Amino acid sequence: MTSRTTTVLVGVASLFAGLVIPVANAQRASGPVKVVQLTGLVGVKDNAKGTLSVENGQLHFVHGKASSDVSASSMQDVATAADSQRAVGGTIGLMSMAAPYGGGRVLSLFRTKIDTLTVQYRDADGGLHGAIFTMPVGTAEVIKKELVAHGAHTTASGEPTPAASSSSSPNKEQKQ
Amino acid sequence: MNRILSAGFRLSVFTLIFAASPLLAQKSKPAKIKAAALQVEMIQSDEIKLPAEFQVALYENLIRQLEENGFSRVYRDGDRNAASVADLVVLHSTVRGFKAGSERARQVTTVSGTTSITVRCQFTSPDGTSLLEQDVNGKVRFFGGNLKATYDFAKKAAHVANQNFSTPGRE
Repeated sequence: MTSRTTTVLVGVASLFAGLVIPVANAQRASGPVKVVQLTGLVGVKDNAKGTLSVENGQLHFVHGKASSDVSASSMQDVATAADSQRAVGGTIGLMSMAAPYGGGRVLSLFRTKIDTLTVQYRDADGGLHGAIFTMPVGTAEVIKKELVAHGAHTTASGEPTPAASSSSSPNKEQKQ
Repeated sequence: MNRILSAGFRLSVFTLIFAASPLLAQKSKPAKIKAAALQVEMIQSDEIKLPAEFQVALYENLIRQLEENGFSRVYRDGDRNAASVADLVVLHSTVRGFKAGSERARQVTTVSGTTSITVRCQFTSPDGTSLLEQDVNGKVRFFGGNLKATYDFAKKAAHVANQNFSTPGRE
């Protein structure tokens, strides 16, 4: 009887740990984070995959052999948002749309949650640039805090706002 | 015989009218405004809540599309080099309408979940005199993420600029 109770307790504890540990890991993000640079960094192609970190007051993006740095002090706004993307994307995702009996549509229902980090910064001539990154859940807010600690400005504070693009139900159109 | 001649005459008159109308239309087309360079201001959305990534994507795509449409000198918001340029045209963009939509809804239903964005584009001289004002919209109906609407907008806005402004080397 005791061994059975112990087994149940261990099982419940393992399940709880399994749920909590990934969230804790995602929040840490002390090292480089795997990201996709959607647009905006000078000299980097759109949708470039790489790693992002904050080093010596610089936002450091590494893509293959090339790297790109943006000074935190030149950032006039840093914003985070929660988003989601198709679990099966790319060419396979597109081809799956042609699957019979709506098979591709079923695949569209499976989505993975992601964070987006949007940075606005000025170059040496004062020109305004904007860069957008997507990254694993929980990492954008950590990077934002590091950037703010190194002198980046932000207009929004607190928890990331759910990105409009992530909503599963279409929002009503706002008009001026 | 007379009837055939009269019909032939009428036919030739009609042909002339139809052939001449495009030529007349081309003549009445307004002349392009001279623009040595364009400066793109950051997208404003004071009254409509627009996610930061949409704002930045609109701005970056707009600059890229203008450059790809033959505007060799496109300056960014705040660029000090633009101050000394003669015949500079400044593009102010204000978001007038925004519907976030849903990529999932688009892919599952095909008919719903459209993302749309309407932006008022105002081209002015550096002193603020309005040269052209037009609403441009961007949409994504079927394939692609919601941010693709910003690309659609940028392409259309660059087309508007292309139609109305001439730059040196691209008349």
